[in-house]
Amino acid sequence: MLKNYLKIAWRNLWKDKTYSSINILGLSVAFAVAILLSMAAFFELSYDNFHEHKDRVFQVYNVQQTPDGPEAGTSQPTPFAESLKTEVPGVDHITRVLHDNALAIYIEKEINLDIAWVDPDFFTMFTFPIIEGDQSTPLNELGSVVISNEAAKTLFGDTDIVGKSLRLLINGEERPFTVAAVMKDTPRNSTFDFDMALRFENNPEYASTKDSWQAQYHEVFAMLANSVSAERFESNSHAFIDLHYNEAIENAKRDGAQPDADEKYRQVELLPLRDVRFTSFRKGFAEVSRSNPYLILSVALLILFIAGVNYINMSMARSAKRLKEIGMRKTLGARGKQLFFQFWGESLLLFLVAMALGILLSALLVDPFKSMFRTGATYDQLSSPQFIVIGGLLVLIISLIVGGYPAFLLSRFGTVQSLKGTLQANGANWVRNTLMVVQFGIAMLLITSTLVLLGQIDYMRNKDLGYEKEQVISFPLNGKRGSYAVLELLKQELKGNPDILGVTGADNNLGRGRDGNQYSSAIGFEYKGRTVGTNFLVVDHDYVETLGLDMAMGRSFKSPADSTGILINEAMVKELREQDPMSAYLQINGDLKSPVLGVVKDYHFQDLDRAIAPLTFFMSRDLELAYAYVKVAPVNMADSYEHVKEVWGKIEPNADFLGSFLDENVDRTFRREQATAKLIASGSVLAILLSCIGLFAMSMLIVSQRVKEIGIRKVIGASVSSITFMLTKDFLRLLLLSLGIAAPISWWFLQEWLENYAYRIELHPGFFLAAGIMVVVIAIFTVSTKTIKAALQNPVKSLRTE
Amino acid sequence: MLLELNNIFKWVQQGGQRVFLLKDINLKVAEGEFISVMGPSGSGKSTLLNVIGMLDGFNEGEYHFMDESVHTLREKHRAELYKQYIGFVFQAYHLIDELTVYENLEMPLLYKKIKGSERKAMVADMLDRFNIVGKKDLFPTQLSGGQQQLVGVARALISKPKLILADEPTGNLNSKQGQDIMELFKQLNNEGVTIIQVTHSEKNAEYGSRIIQLLDGRKV
Repeated sequence: MLKNYLKIAWRNLWKDKTYSSINILGLSVAFAVAILLSMAAFFELSYDNFHEHKDRVFQVYNVQQTPDGPEAGTSQPTPFAESLKTEVPGVDHITRVLHDNALAIYIEKEINLDIAWVDPDFFTMFTFPIIEGDQSTPLNELGSVVISNEAAKTLFGDTDIVGKSLRLLINGEERPFTVAAVMKDTPRNSTFDFDMALRFENNPEYASTKDSWQAQYHEVFAMLANSVSAERFESNSHAFIDLHYNEAIENAKRDGAQPDADEKYRQVELLPLRDVRFTSFRKGFAEVSRSNPYLILSVALLILFIAGVNYINMSMARSAKRLKEIGMRKTLGARGKQLFFQFWGESLLLFLVAMALGILLSALLVDPFKSMFRTGATYDQLSSPQFIVIGGLLVLIISLIVGGYPAFLLSRFGTVQSLKGTLQANGANWVRNTLMVVQFGIAMLLITSTLVLLGQIDYMRNKDLGYEKEQVISFPLNGKRGSYAVLELLKQELKGNPDILGVTGADNNLGRGRDGNQYSSAIGFEYKGRTVGTNFLVVDHDYVETLGLDMAMGRSFKSPADSTGILINEAMVKELREQDPMSAYLQINGDLKSPVLGVVKDYHFQDLDRAIAPLTFFMSRDLELAYAYVKVAPVNMADSYEHVKEVWGKIEPNADFLGSFLDENVDRTFRREQATAKLIASGSVLAILLSCIGLFAMSMLIVSQRVKEIGIRKVIGASVSSITFMLTKDFLRLLLLSLGIAAPISWWFLQEWLENYAYRIELHPGFFLAAGIMVVVIAIFTVSTKTIKAALQNPVKSLRTE
Repeated sequence: MLLELNNIFKWVQQGGQRVFLLKDINLKVAEGEFISVMGPSGSGKSTLLNVIGMLDGFNEGEYHFMDESVHTLREKHRAELYKQYIGFVFQAYHLIDELTVYENLEMPLLYKKIKGSERKAMVADMLDRFNIVGKKDLFPTQLSGGQQQLVGVARALISKPKLILADEPTGNLNSKQGQDIMELFKQLNNEGVTIIQVTHSEKNAEYGSRIIQLLDGRKV
């Protein structure tokens, strides 16, 4: 019997090759895409999942009440970790973590490494396996380092290097270290990404901040004792906070901050390690959101759904051709159940073929997919037994629903009726119409999302940020020399070139450079009896001119002699609540009172998802610069870039040149949006494609059902166009219905998404109209191919069958 | 008595009115009979055949088939009954196009869950008997109409039914082919199979031992 079923299934597939291949193609593409997308999503969700103690390790962050509402942050002062561990019960291990980069030198070789300043407990708390050297406490000695496998190979040439020494350039000074252990490279799904771990005490800020509770600049992670819950720990820490942050709390009270629900002005809170990757502190509390991976997963499900709907509708469309077989089998004694299993079995066969092809296809596409969407996803994410079981069940369920529903309908047809070959499918029509409405609704949602996303990216890319981004190259000063010396050399070397319009430096980049780093530094100080906060930026003189910033008041830094003064931006003027900012003196650091030399018009020095924050510019030779900026003429920009690169190579022969134009840097800051946009765009293209395949099948069915009617109408005298319109009208009605349903849902959804951006486009009906027109035009085009053909047919043919 | 119909009525509702397809049909069929049902289009011939074959239900009346009361039987038992005792032959042959002659013959046996070796023997026997051994691997579309109907009859006979119901078996055939099929029926009848056929042709009806005339769902 099974053999008979298989034979029939195979011959049916073979007989109608267009139908089978469209179906298999659609399903396998959907499967492939679903596999790839879920791979990316599960990769994202697997972040920091590999740590053995992930359930007990937390990031320690604090929430403080300010007059402007609560503020949350992860930066802690140097003595914090040590005190927390000794004063609050329940901490098993604790470590400070500060990410940085440094030039590593071994004999002749110099490379720039991502480093992490950590405490010895780090390797106990986190699972970064040691492959050579001290397994348990590799950082016991102050001068020890743990180096990653890959960095060891690049720097030393091999990994048998335990005990060897190397030098690191820290704050312009070469210091010796000894390799205590070699660790496996940090996995791609780790939030910590470093080539080398060193003792925290060696970091350049350490000495000056050893006892200061004011300078907050690193993160702290704690591993709680088994018996202690995060909530218990948080409430245990109240006394600790009251003791060490007494002054800050008093200041907050004085400035008019409101206490939180616990009547506290400052609290220590714990964030589970697994949430770190997905947390934003922007709104004043730890907001954990995994919406991005779930969004990707839902796109995958939506695509599977669309493909499933197609399959259902196409099987129904085809069932008319098999009515005779159904009737015959029934008269020969087949039961409903047997027929159900026969047809379901056929679906299952087709599904398995499509699944196999889908897996194959995804394997072929995985590399371009990874580079296109910047994911580190691998099949490892999908090869866990639990995923395989869930995935297998999912396919079975899908095939049961998608293959079972038509099978169920087919097996229920009356014997005599099916022998006559007339299909009465009123119930099915209802289901079919609903499915089609949902299907096109989804396509519509995805297309609108794509349009809005692209619109927002375009807006961010083209927005006037308040500075010159097309003509300025920035690059990190990642060489051996001191930053001011390098800058001086650069200026000299570049002076002769008429295409170079200016050279300056700052301690921060604009946008995200090719080094992949983005920093922010902020400081709080007392001003007229209140605490005010500002971002600060150390610049070389000419910074304002080189970047084309506008002055609202006063003047910019002109010469090194202006180093006692400061510049502020307009947001800072508001923060100071100062009517006449030019007369203000700010006492930011120690006793020195700095006069405000000028006010810079607000410009976007941070990403566009933030409002413009207060900013203060310093020009101090005591503070190092980190980036150089070179303004070039609008002509020969590529040559100018090459020239800068050449000069850099001359000045710092061992350091990579990581220069890029600022507009590229800005583009890099919304890589995530671009990746999401690409993803949704490809999802929507696929969705509309698959939906149209379904629509095509539907039009085939409807036309075949109405052949006789069409014939009669033609004989009576209907024109081709009126028949085409008649046949298309029903689809059009369904389409318009789905547009009507999808538009408000997309509107709400996209409005929510846009809320994430401080600077955003306004949603307007144009987006929905454009998406709607697109869908309708494509759909009509698809349907017409069948309907016009039907309308053109000679009526004698269709009427002869009686 | 093979089967007995008592006061069978069948109707459909059309525009609030009952339209009768069968009206008060009484019929007794003894084993070994060869009955021809005749009547104009729409007189209810095929409906009657479907009712006898249990493919279709009826609204009123009693139907006894080999001492079973069909009108009280559940769908499942009814299917068992006709699966075992009735074979069908159709005007349009209704062979499954995707299966070969051999596989088409085999199919009823599959539904009766007959063992492989026995099945093989039965199919081979049937192929032999109808002289179509050479055609067993062909698909229905590769055969002439007469040959297709021959396969159709063979398929109806393979599960050794007591009753063959034939709905215009020669309707799609030319006269020579039709005559062959009728001769075949005659011969089967002589071997003891009961046959009820619907036909338009007086000549074919003559093959039967009894003729039933229908008009507007009523026996005349």
